[in-house]
Amino acid sequence: MVVHEERIGATALLVPRGRIDSATAPALGERLGGALASSISALVLDLSGLEYISSAGFRVLLVANRQAQSSGVPLHLCCLPDKVHQLFELAGFLELFPIHAQMDEAVAAASAVKASGGRSAGGA
Amino acid sequence: MSVPAHASWWGPADSPPTALVLLSALQHIVAATTLLTYPLLVAQAAGASPATTASFISLTLLAAGAGTLLQAFRLGPVGSGYLCWPTATVLYLLPSLVAARIGGLPLVLGMTLAAALFEIALAPTMRRLRPLFPPEIAGVIVLLVGITSGAIGVRMIASAPPHSGPEAALSPIAVASFALVVMTALNVWTTGVWRIACVLAGTLAGILVSAHIGGDGGPSWPAFAGASDGPLFALPDVSHLGWSFDATLLIPFAIGGLAAAIKTSGSVVILQSACDPRWVRADMRSVGGGVLADGLSTGLSAAIGGLGLNASSVAAGLAAATGMHSRRVAVAIAMVCVLLGLFPAIGLFLTRMPAELLGATLVFSSVYLIVNGVQIVTSRMLDARRTFVVGLGLLAGLSVELVPAMVEALSPSLRTMFGTPLVFGTLTALGLNLVFRIGATRSGAFVVEPQQRDSEWIEARVNGLGAGWGARRDVIERVGFGIAQAAEVLFDNAEVDGPIDVRASFDEFNVVIRMAWQGPPLELPDRRPSAEEIIASDEGARRLAGFLLGRIADRVSCHERSGRSILTLRFDH
Repeated sequence: MVVHEERIGATALLVPRGRIDSATAPALGERLGGALASSISALVLDLSGLEYISSAGFRVLLVANRQAQSSGVPLHLCCLPDKVHQLFELAGFLELFPIHAQMDEAVAAASAVKASGGRSAGGA
Repeated sequence: MSVPAHASWWGPADSPPTALVLLSALQHIVAATTLLTYPLLVAQAAGASPATTASFISLTLLAAGAGTLLQAFRLGPVGSGYLCWPTATVLYLLPSLVAARIGGLPLVLGMTLAAALFEIALAPTMRRLRPLFPPEIAGVIVLLVGITSGAIGVRMIASAPPHSGPEAALSPIAVASFALVVMTALNVWTTGVWRIACVLAGTLAGILVSAHIGGDGGPSWPAFAGASDGPLFALPDVSHLGWSFDATLLIPFAIGGLAAAIKTSGSVVILQSACDPRWVRADMRSVGGGVLADGLSTGLSAAIGGLGLNASSVAAGLAAATGMHSRRVAVAIAMVCVLLGLFPAIGLFLTRMPAELLGATLVFSSVYLIVNGVQIVTSRMLDARRTFVVGLGLLAGLSVELVPAMVEALSPSLRTMFGTPLVFGTLTALGLNLVFRIGATRSGAFVVEPQQRDSEWIEARVNGLGAGWGARRDVIERVGFGIAQAAEVLFDNAEVDGPIDVRASFDEFNVVIRMAWQGPPLELPDRRPSAEEIIASDEGARRLAGFLLGRIADRVSCHERSGRSILTLRFDH
């Protein structure tokens, strides 16, 4: 798995590509934790390049979501491939994360939440 | 093929407005003029009088009307349940022409009756033949029907004679192109009556534009001028009724019956998949009923004095393209057939429909058939064996079309068999499928070692098995996830440190996975642990994995015996 990272204004965009399983989940957790610890106003996770996610991957996302909430940084997900979306649905995680179809939409929504001082939808 | 998500899709049991039903029926009839032209050719070959020729056509029409109802309404084992109506077919045309020249119409009727009995005898075996008709072969059949009917359409357009007189400025290709544009535009951008009747509207537009360019205020084709030839109303004369047999013709007619059964199977599969967005495999009961109805239609036609019939693949394509599958249309088609049988002048008008407009109709309906065939083929995973079955089957069928000299070198009886791309391609695919069954297994096993727990490696193994089975791609993806997820949680969260034996079996309806390891069983909770529980401990993560396994598989169980645990995952297929 590789993780591409970029900044759009004060919003961090992380794009993991490949597979998130027990072998790769810790590395993603570190990248998410690192991003949340930096001075960003929102975090968007673009999952368009994700081929596989196991329970270990879901756990990392839940941990990051809790960290994001405690530090007041909205965490939004976007561009879930059909297969990954199906797994989120089966696991009942669609309600736990704000999920968008498009990356631009996710960045705008996450930034708007921060600007309005509100909380992001969902929560662990 | 997915069911269009708009209001102009009508299922077999739906009751669309009467006007829509009549328009659809008329559209089907316009696209099926072989019902009139083929009996005409055979009667002429037999040297029949004009009155007998007219009766031969009328009786074929009446049998087609009855056959339409037999197909659409399932009566016990008879009928496919779909708008799969029969028309005169090239499969019986070639042997019938030979029979007509040798022994006149009685020999045509007798041999057609024999072919019908052969097809009827084949029908009950269709369910047992299911292993021979895996979905990729159904896809090849549908693809061949689509490609060849499209090619025939293009050829009809390209070879249509130019119209005489000053109107000749508008070539048949231009007329057909205009009609095709109208059909396609109405199909893509409209709903309701315009979409349902797009072929009829396109055909009429083609006639009108040509007439307008011609500037004579009416249809410009000379053929239309004679449309009022013949009597307006006439009861069919059955004086030609009689049946004789010739053993030398038995093989070509039996092959015609076999080919008719294969082609009917293809048409029924087209309609099954067009009517059900969740279609995954052929319903062989419906296919068998369709073949039985097809044989009975031909038998009835031969019994009352008409030509052999076969479920029209063009009609199946038309229904798929327009989304009109209502059985009420079958009733209307049957009524129109009876009407045409009793009013020869109307039928005569239809036989003079310009070839380029019939070609445009064929091209239009072939588009949906081609896409439908591709979708059926690609719905399954294909290993090397299945790749050759599909590729060589298609190529064999297309060779008949592309290299006609190959067919011309054959004897007349073999030419009847191999002379059509559909039959040759299908028989090639069926033969290869039989050969490749040698050594093919429906089960598999592998071991996941703790140091080789990579989910990608596991999925690759499962994909290899799925391709060998010709399993559905979506189901195999779930199987791969299930095994990888189970292995991950066993090694990471359940303190399993020995190998996991994985055994997989497949029987077309189920994929069953059994994973066995030395250690405690895996908990499979019905309720997902909360986010807090998952984050807080390994126990939460283990329960999440168990919950996911229960959701990804259709049935799951885990038990322990003598310290060895077995996890069983069952997936519906």
